[in-house]
Amino acid sequence: MYDINRAERAVTQQDIKISASKVQVYYGDKHAIKDVDVEILDKTVTAFIGPSGCGKSTFLRCINRMNDTIPIARIEGRILLDGEDVYDRRVDPVQLRAKVGMVFQKPNPFPKSIYDNVAYGPRIHGLSRNKAELDEIVEKSLRGAALWNEVKDRLHEPGTGLSGGQQQRLCIARAVATAPEVLLMDEPCSALDPIATSQVEELIDQLRENFSVVIVTHSMQQAARVSQKTAFFHLGNLVEYGSTDDIFTNPQDSRTESYISGRIG
Amino acid sequence: MPLSWALLVSLALAVAGYVIGRSRAFASAGTDIRKLHSRPGYHGASVALTTLTPAIVVLMLASVLRMAKVFPPEATGFAGLLALAASVAGLGWGVTRINTDFRARNVVEKIVQGFLIFCSSIAILTTAGIVLSLIFETGHFFQKYSWTEFFFGLNWTPRFQGNSNLGILPLLWGTLYISFIALVVAVPIGMFAAIYMSEYASKRVRGIAKPAIEILAGIPTIVYGLFALITVGPMLRDYFAQPLGLGSSGSSVLTAGLVMGIMLIPFVSSLSDDIINAVPQSMRDGALGLGSTPSETIKQVVLPAALPGVVGAVLLAASRAIGETMIVVLGAGAAARLGLNPFEAMTTITVKIVSQLTGDNDFAAPETLVAFALGLTLFVITLGLNVVALYIVRKYREQYE
Repeated sequence: MYDINRAERAVTQQDIKISASKVQVYYGDKHAIKDVDVEILDKTVTAFIGPSGCGKSTFLRCINRMNDTIPIARIEGRILLDGEDVYDRRVDPVQLRAKVGMVFQKPNPFPKSIYDNVAYGPRIHGLSRNKAELDEIVEKSLRGAALWNEVKDRLHEPGTGLSGGQQQRLCIARAVATAPEVLLMDEPCSALDPIATSQVEELIDQLRENFSVVIVTHSMQQAARVSQKTAFFHLGNLVEYGSTDDIFTNPQDSRTESYISGRIG
Repeated sequence: MPLSWALLVSLALAVAGYVIGRSRAFASAGTDIRKLHSRPGYHGASVALTTLTPAIVVLMLASVLRMAKVFPPEATGFAGLLALAASVAGLGWGVTRINTDFRARNVVEKIVQGFLIFCSSIAILTTAGIVLSLIFETGHFFQKYSWTEFFFGLNWTPRFQGNSNLGILPLLWGTLYISFIALVVAVPIGMFAAIYMSEYASKRVRGIAKPAIEILAGIPTIVYGLFALITVGPMLRDYFAQPLGLGSSGSSVLTAGLVMGIMLIPFVSSLSDDIINAVPQSMRDGALGLGSTPSETIKQVVLPAALPGVVGAVLLAASRAIGETMIVVLGAGAAARLGLNPFEAMTTITVKIVSQLTGDNDFAAPETLVAFALGLTLFVITLGLNVVALYIVRKYREQYE
């Protein structure tokens, strides 16, 4: 019995978390994403790389239906999360986004205290029964985001008073506190200095133990450092998808090779 | 020579000065235009300004002196000639200054800057003038009438044969009561309208509804007053006051308050709408990305972020309500009364200022002078509200900078 459980767990390590097929996105008349097929694994960091405007952020925002907030965006194709189509009529985008958390390019803490920022998700989803439980979630999330030691004495000061790197880690803590299954990160380090970047990268590596992490990045070094799988987007197409080592050392497509060697982009 | 003619002639001289200055600048530069410190247009403008400025200064001094009766009206012709002479002298001086090294651009920019400072000080100086004249007349009033009776008197019964009771409290009460009702009507409706407009309405609906609401702001308040007089007042009396046995007056606090509230809706909604729109989209994305519903996002993130600005908008609306006159005259009547019944007629400070100053005025009688004391009190109240509003709005801005 014990052995079977272990065997099962080993299998889930390689489980497919998100499976997208023939995804098309249109912004008005613009065909922004063309025929994207990709399978994202559980408990893995997947990096989306590519030049500006290639559609990597757009595709990321399809996974938790954040494109719904843009009236002119239209999405076709199928994106399955644990085998369920996220664009199915029965799926409530609000519940979906509770399962698929998101961290944005620019740190966007709410104009509330540090504590209330982290407690926001647990509160709206009713994840805690009392104050003590909530305190525990907040502390655990802040520790998870490597921010606890810096803010534990000023939890009730405004989150907007933190430095840029701290704000971004606060936003990660806020996303982690909601206990998502997938964490989407849209260029989370582009507004940060190198020290804050390395802290966040370390954090992403730790998050892999519990979540499937998808990160959009402009920095190929960052993709190489933090991810196990890499997808290269170009002009709305998914050009190449494979293990990070393969993409960077032995790319199959000439466009991928040009991009990682710095000839395009 | 009349002053207006002197002004016209010096304007013509200034135009001529511009042309002369420009051509002199070209001439002094010779073949290499880059030797000039300033572009020829600046040289022309500097001559025009040195022509016009002395004339205007002389003319302004002359009108001030004439108003102060320092010199007789017959001397006007002389003043005109003097202005013209100053302008010609300015023209001559300006032209002789032109050479390749002359910093005409700096001169022009200095003069323009001075003009801008002058314009911005006009508003401030006028306010100071208004306050001073009010204080002056209020001083006269308090020499004739005791200030304790004015500020703490419970009766308002002015009689023109003298011996009147001029207590401000019934008027102040009426003002605050009516403004309070107006805000109770305007703030929730305006706020909810703003939330719908900025968060839920489609672009098309917003494009139609927002201007439609703002049209309300353009209606003259006397028209609202007519609406209060012939529609709202009788309706409230027939359907509420009389059946409930609360009074039989067509004009009432509630009538004026309701109609004034309607007048303030576009004010509150338009300002709040702008403020809610100014909350960064990244804030909404953050909340939605954590799985909040749109309504949770608005209640817990957007509104708290916008709150200080909204409070500022509400305070600005309050100061408008306190200063409103026409709706009160037609809606609430002119009877000064201290009472709680909203179906009774009451009146406000502004209405009584008007009634004390219409008709034959005897500016030595306290019955007339009381208007200035009332005006000053009103001014202090609205000034206080505006200061608080501006302070809050400024604090709000700091949060996002």
